[in-house]
Amino acid sequence: MDNRKYNIYFHTHTISGIIICALLYVIFFAGSFSFFKDDITAWQKNESFTAARDVTSKDFNYVLDSLSAHHTLKGRDFDFSMQRHGLGAYAAMTASHDSTVKAKVKKKPETQRRGRGRRGGNDDSAFFTYNFAQKKDIDYVAGYDMGEFLYRLHFLAQLNVIPIRLGSPFGYLLAGVVSFMFLFALITGLLLHWDKIVSNFFTFRPWVKWKTVWTDLHTALGVIQFPFQFIFAVTGIVLIANAALMTPYASYLYKGDSEKLYQALEYSDTSKFEYTYRPLPSTFDVNKYVASVEKREAGAFISRVSIRNYQDENMHVIVESKPKADASFAGSGKTIYRVHDQKVLHQTSATEHASYIDRVKALIYHLHFGDFGGRPLRVVYFVLGVMGCIVILSGILIWLVARDKNSIPKHKRVFNFWTANVFLAACLSMLPVTAFTMTVLLFFEAPGMGDIFNWYFYSWLALGVYFIARRNLDLTNRQTTLLSAVTCFALPLADGIVRNNWFWNTYARGAYDILFIDLLFLSLAIISVVVFVKVKKAQTAKAAEPSEPAEPAVQATTRPAVKRNVIVGAKR
Amino acid sequence: MPANKKHLTKSPWLRLAKILAGVVGGYTVMFSFHLLLARIFPQENVIATSFFTGYILWAILLLLAFLAKNVWKVWAAYIVLTVLFSLPYLIS
Repeated sequence: MDNRKYNIYFHTHTISGIIICALLYVIFFAGSFSFFKDDITAWQKNESFTAARDVTSKDFNYVLDSLSAHHTLKGRDFDFSMQRHGLGAYAAMTASHDSTVKAKVKKKPETQRRGRGRRGGNDDSAFFTYNFAQKKDIDYVAGYDMGEFLYRLHFLAQLNVIPIRLGSPFGYLLAGVVSFMFLFALITGLLLHWDKIVSNFFTFRPWVKWKTVWTDLHTALGVIQFPFQFIFAVTGIVLIANAALMTPYASYLYKGDSEKLYQALEYSDTSKFEYTYRPLPSTFDVNKYVASVEKREAGAFISRVSIRNYQDENMHVIVESKPKADASFAGSGKTIYRVHDQKVLHQTSATEHASYIDRVKALIYHLHFGDFGGRPLRVVYFVLGVMGCIVILSGILIWLVARDKNSIPKHKRVFNFWTANVFLAACLSMLPVTAFTMTVLLFFEAPGMGDIFNWYFYSWLALGVYFIARRNLDLTNRQTTLLSAVTCFALPLADGIVRNNWFWNTYARGAYDILFIDLLFLSLAIISVVVFVKVKKAQTAKAAEPSEPAEPAVQATTRPAVKRNVIVGAKR
Repeated sequence: MPANKKHLTKSPWLRLAKILAGVVGGYTVMFSFHLLLARIFPQENVIATSFFTGYILWAILLLLAFLAKNVWKVWAAYIVLTVLFSLPYLIS
């Protein structure tokens, strides 16, 4: 490769990398834990999904019944989008198509029940999250949990409060920009190492100099992970910032009609069914019908149940389904059923029918969420995600160490140190803060969104400021590792003491998701202890003989979960 | 060692021109290219495909702007390509 190109790859990789590194670390860290979103939710609420899955029935009739206590349901449309764990749904109820029903509610003031996105205006449409296990609707703010928090943190949703809007909420926009720059950094990084990709891969000289530790770690892990990270960069942009393509497509190819574009891409069913003002002569059992579809579609799960023109003669029920991962990777099933003459108007099977668009979407969603191989695959994804965190940290350290030379002016070196100091303090505090917050929440009766925000962000701020003030990267590394060990160990311990959720108890009642989170943090604690001991040894050795290369301290640099081995050779 | 400065753009204005050429020009080339494809292949399939190809192509075009020796040639090339790709769309 010619020297000029090499240096351009090098520089663009460095600059794009150092700009995004801290945010990308947050995204990778929170994202890795988000693979276990449902498990964390189950853990915090002490309601196991795995234990409840077989005994909970999706009782749509009951939902409709309880809604009818406050509303006249005649002529309304309902949509139930099933949540991934299958025990809840995002439910939407429109205003009635029946103008006589509509006329009555218009006089009423806005109802007293609160819910997320309860649309304003003067109709009585509603949007809420429904829990089939508890048979009640859940207020979004009160139902907020750490799973949701970390999931939303991984696309920086909490930053949406910043009132800068450039086409989309600030946090999403920022996450989109970060993922695009990440894609760019990946491409330049690969090209940078292209010529030496084979030889460098087998070069591992961990203990020659500190800088080579970071370099080899960064290169080796970066190359191993390249496909994985590349997938995440691309699918990440699509999932969070696809407006960058969709908005122009809508205006150039669909004359500004984005509804039409979304329909062409099979995102939503916007089939219209005329309202006839003739009541349905018989009653209709939604449960029974959905169960019959479920039975027919054995290799699929119901993703959405829509009811149109409730109790009208022209009432329709649309059931959409997605294939289970072991039956088919891509596909979509849809049944449109007309109630009054019991006629199936349209029927495709999720396991047999897959359009080109289904395939593209399946690639995007499955590859990003890692939901096509059960828990073992999610663990692999988690490990790879944590390895991403290591690549980012080692990148920051290469950046610092490479610039820590006498030829660099003093003020630049001070700036570089402060950048690395702040970034490392913020990044390395995340694991102890996460474990700490989750543990603290055990002691609350019903922790809501506000509690989680306060405990997480203030403890993060406090810890971050503390480490920034200490101005010692060795110390930051050592103490965060120790804190990680303590907090990660405290989590399963507190779960056992406070809620009697000892490992054997959760195992015995089949609450494998709760058990899993306890075990996950126990393993993180053990790994942190191992890393702490080795780091301590290495740092003492280094202090004793500053001119000698440090002895092999952290041997397991290729072991994925060791994310704490951040020993900084460069003294300030 | 950081990258060797002698191979990098020194003038901040030239650098800005490169970044803009890559981000804005790269985007218009990428987008118009997919508009062209949408003429040839089924429209919604092209849109779905572009969820992958679009962003990757954009990132590569951004990199090409940095690699070029003369940024104005990049600007010229990206403008010509954009116009060329969107001709079928502009004519009809």
